[in-house]
Amino acid sequence: MIAAQNTSYLAKLPAGLKFGALLVLSIGLYLIGSWQILLVLLILSVLILLSARVNLRQLRMPLVTLLLILGIVFVSLGIQTTWDSALVSVLRLLTMCMFAYAVSLTTTFDAMLELFQQVASPLRHVGANPAQISLGLSLAIRFIPELKRVYLEVREAQHARGLANNPLAVAVPLVIRSLRIAEDTAEALEARGYDSAEHSK
Amino acid sequence: MELPEIQLEQVTVSFEDRTVLTDITLTLNERRIGIIGANGAGKSTLSRLLNALVIPTSGTVRVGGLETSKNAKQIRRDVGFVFQNPANQIIMPLVADDIAFGLKNIGLSKVERKVRVTQTLEELNIAHLADRESHTLSGGEQQMVALAAVMAMQPRTIVFDEPTTMLDLRNRLRFQREIAQLPQRAIVITHDLELLEDFDRVLVVTDGIVDFDGQPADAIDHYRQWSHV
Repeated sequence: MIAAQNTSYLAKLPAGLKFGALLVLSIGLYLIGSWQILLVLLILSVLILLSARVNLRQLRMPLVTLLLILGIVFVSLGIQTTWDSALVSVLRLLTMCMFAYAVSLTTTFDAMLELFQQVASPLRHVGANPAQISLGLSLAIRFIPELKRVYLEVREAQHARGLANNPLAVAVPLVIRSLRIAEDTAEALEARGYDSAEHSK
Repeated sequence: MELPEIQLEQVTVSFEDRTVLTDITLTLNERRIGIIGANGAGKSTLSRLLNALVIPTSGTVRVGGLETSKNAKQIRRDVGFVFQNPANQIIMPLVADDIAFGLKNIGLSKVERKVRVTQTLEELNIAHLADRESHTLSGGEQQMVALAAVMAMQPRTIVFDEPTTMLDLRNRLRFQREIAQLPQRAIVITHDLELLEDFDRVLVVTDGIVDFDGQPADAIDHYRQWSHV
């Protein structure tokens, strides 16, 4: 999920502070064994989320999926252990996710990438380049939907030719078109002033 | 806006054993320049010479006196490029971040980037797209975002490689209006001959040479006659 423009107090906090707090909170939640305390924290996380004025529509589908998964976890844990410990586990996960949503939905993608570059900066010592890795990360997020679209187009075209069940007939054009996209994107990066040599310094 | 002169001197471009452009000498000073020609004639290669995406095999290309083979970085700041398929040109997942991408590459601060992005989006009347995820944009919106990303860099020349190929009539007309209003020089490679009617100069490229160079009506006539042969 990518954060839309958010001007709340939470959006104004530095990304490093928010993600650091999220990390500490997530570890802290594992030290709490009382469902009553976890319930209070869950309510708190929801209040934080609401006070941060995030786009709740963006959360609808992920929340439905999350609640479904947690439902399955609750039942299977309840059967295997006790219903009390199942409730604790589910509340813990749900609270953690609500805090995570509050952080990710109030942090711009750009700020996340910058934080990633800072956190990954020690990797320079082993020859890796955090700036290039973060660009790769953003390109992956950007182009996954694009590749899905290409896949659907190729599948539709092969279906029209009666080759829908032939994996090779779908894979070959998909790979060729993906390579073409990669080539075009590399050219666009160059045209837009991205200098990989400079970013490797 | 003072426009930099673009000079091509005896430019030949070959890829492996294939010569794509042969001995082209041109000086471009006009504000609106069109390039037309058949598929594979060398139009795209010619356009890519102008912002150093392609370096000549022999001869020189100069933009504002700077040679593209030696000053690619500087020239790319002054000559923007809008590709045929904007989807492949948009690099970041969010529109505003994508427009800021090039600005970050040239070292603008976060505050400067934000101001420039907002200003550009407003100029093109697409401020409502700022927070949209790039893959959710329509073809017309993608083309406008690609143009915004280039305009934010404030180049003095913008090269468009078949910009209307993927647009419906409404978006094509909107794009034509935007091009007409640009203070920058626009060099447009296209098969859409109507787009060039008000241009200052049109080049017809045939088999790697500039076959005709003149007023739009004459160039289009020449190209139509050639196409009928």
